Amino acid sequence: MTGTSQRQLEIDGISKRYGQTVAVDTLTFEIRAGEVFGFVGRNGAGKTTTMRVVLGVLTPDAGAVRWLGVPLTYEARRHIGYMPEERGLYPKMRVAEQLTYLGELHGMTGAEARQASVHWVERFGLADRADAEVQALSLGNQQRIQLAAALVFGPDMLVLDEPFAGLDPVAVDVMSAVLREQADAGLPVIFSSHELELVERLCDRVGIIDHGTMLACGTVGELRAGGRERRWVAVPGAPGDWEAGVPGVRLIQTDGSRRLFELDPGVDDQALLQAALATGPVREFERVEPSLGELFRTVIGEAGA
Amino acid sequence: MNARSWGLGGTRRLPTVVLVARREIRMRLRSRVFVGGTIVMTALVVIGIVAASLLAGRTAPVRVGFSGGSQALQRTFTASAAALGANVTVSDITDVTAGEAQVTAGTLDVLVTGSETAPTAVAKAAIASNVESALSLAAEAARLADAGLSPAAVASAMALVPVQLLQPPNPKDTENLFASLALGILLWIALGQYGNMVAQGVVEEKATRIMEILLATIQPSRLLAGKVIGVGLVGLLQLTIVGAAALVAVHVTDVAAIPALGVASILGDISWFLLGFLFYATAYAAVASLVSRQEEVQSAVAPISIFQIAGYLLMYAALPDPSGPLATVCSLLPPFAPILMAVRMADTDVPFWQVGLAVALIVASIVGLTWLAGRIYSNAALRLGTRVRFMEAFRG
Repeated sequence: MTGTSQRQLEIDGISKRYGQTVAVDTLTFEIRAGEVFGFVGRNGAGKTTTMRVVLGVLTPDAGAVRWLGVPLTYEARRHIGYMPEERGLYPKMRVAEQLTYLGELHGMTGAEARQASVHWVERFGLADRADAEVQALSLGNQQRIQLAAALVFGPDMLVLDEPFAGLDPVAVDVMSAVLREQADAGLPVIFSSHELELVERLCDRVGIIDHGTMLACGTVGELRAGGRERRWVAVPGAPGDWEAGVPGVRLIQTDGSRRLFELDPGVDDQALLQAALATGPVREFERVEPSLGELFRTVIGEAGA
Repeated sequence: MNARSWGLGGTRRLPTVVLVARREIRMRLRSRVFVGGTIVMTALVVIGIVAASLLAGRTAPVRVGFSGGSQALQRTFTASAAALGANVTVSDITDVTAGEAQVTAGTLDVLVTGSETAPTAVAKAAIASNVESALSLAAEAARLADAGLSPAAVASAMALVPVQLLQPPNPKDTENLFASLALGILLWIALGQYGNMVAQGVVEEKATRIMEILLATIQPSRLLAGKVIGVGLVGLLQLTIVGAAALVAVHVTDVAAIPALGVASILGDISWFLLGFLFYATAYAAVASLVSRQEEVQSAVAPISIFQIAGYLLMYAALPDPSGPLATVCSLLPPFAPILMAVRMADTDVPFWQVGLAVALIVASIVGLTWLAGRIYSNAALRLGTRVRFMEAFRG
């Protein structure tokens, strides 16, 4: 094995257009081995296209995808656990049989595939449905089988498109635990989701994509550092526009005498505090950590502006 | 609970084409469509053969009883009947009334009474003309002998006019026609059925969205090849079951001579089925990959089905003259060759070069179609929703 610095999946300047529409535009980022990477963006931002390019299901117009420093070959791609946006299993195949088949297609022997299929069916709590036809399962259970299909052959990395969509809270917990565990075992794990709270809780790093370009990429902390800071300030009895003289400060929200301000990058919050003190007694001065959802809206809003 | 065998190779990594084909075979053999279809097809073929044998009727010998002086006619009657192609048995009847009763009861077909030179025939409702002629000839010979002619003179006087045929018919012609027609219909049904099976399978993978997982794992051409091979083997199995039942039925009812369906011709028919299947299945798979819903399959494959229906109709046009220009030319063209050439080969002696040319043309077409289908299939397989235009899929 090469050094840990090389153990990453690199997406290097990929572009893909459909006719006049640019789906992905020279997109570059990397997913490190052992980390869970959250891929967020609006519908049509280019997440699915990017994942399909990684899987080799789509050929990019430009750019390359590398794993361990070398471009992904067909053989290497067979070792990616993939959960496509469009879920799909053979409805008339039995659960265990289907997982065994997919395991074998990924290069396992029949015996290995059978063993792995039993393991994952049990892990997802569906041991009693192992011989049921997939079409007889509830949608939530089919989704568990879909994830099992991505895991059954012991993949080198996981690429999951909206794995949490349509799951009940219990299944979300099982799925989260499995993703964490796979990353801890040394796999790069990338998934897309609109559940930003979940992404914030689960992911080591997050990438925000819009119109096919990466707007922000890093840990949630890094995104916060790059984003605008916010302060709640409560100055009862102050005139309505006391902050007017402070440069780089914008009023976001008013809640009685409390006001939420957003500071432009590099603006010192002490100037805001002094302006507040100049108008009267300051009862509250609170630093607000923006949630990923707020960061997301800010980043997307700025890009759109 | 699931104690059934998962097949061989538990400790081996199998090529993906084999895995795809094996899955196809397992799922098909398990389906009610296959089990029911095989039973229905076998039943229909056996019923058809039994019905044909009943309609053709048994050429049971005509039972002719002779009483009194006419009994002397028996030997010449039997000889004349043989010369005229009538199958007869003769017997002695001692009592005319009892003989008439037998004719009425149907245990005797013809009762001959009277003297050797003036016999009378008694039948129930009708008498076969060649039996009547044989009897007349026998009586005439008796009269000539009675008039004093020597047996040799009688024989030469009664000699039949020799007939020389410039184009003698193949004695097995009717049997061949029957067998060829049955073969053609069977091939036509089989090609349509298994071609459609491939088309349905391709669309099933698009409609159920499993295509994307599969294509992330294996190359489109291998998926296509595995599917076509799997369905083809299932088809071959089904045809073998139906064909074996047909051979047994033919043997039991004796409606056609089995040697006419010798090992060589059966191998030839299987080869034509496989070539036709590869040709049509590949084409069906390509056009089916353009659509995403089962309801659209029929309209998608319609342009291909037209060739199959045309081939079926051409079979009826070609059979009466299997060596004529229409039959010859059409049996060389790849879309029609699997049915028409197989039927011609069963019906008549086809020149070797024609068979060779037809095989070369269809093999070349299959190679070309495989390339084309692989391209269409790869480009259209992941485009879900609206129907993909052919040229769009071709360009990619």
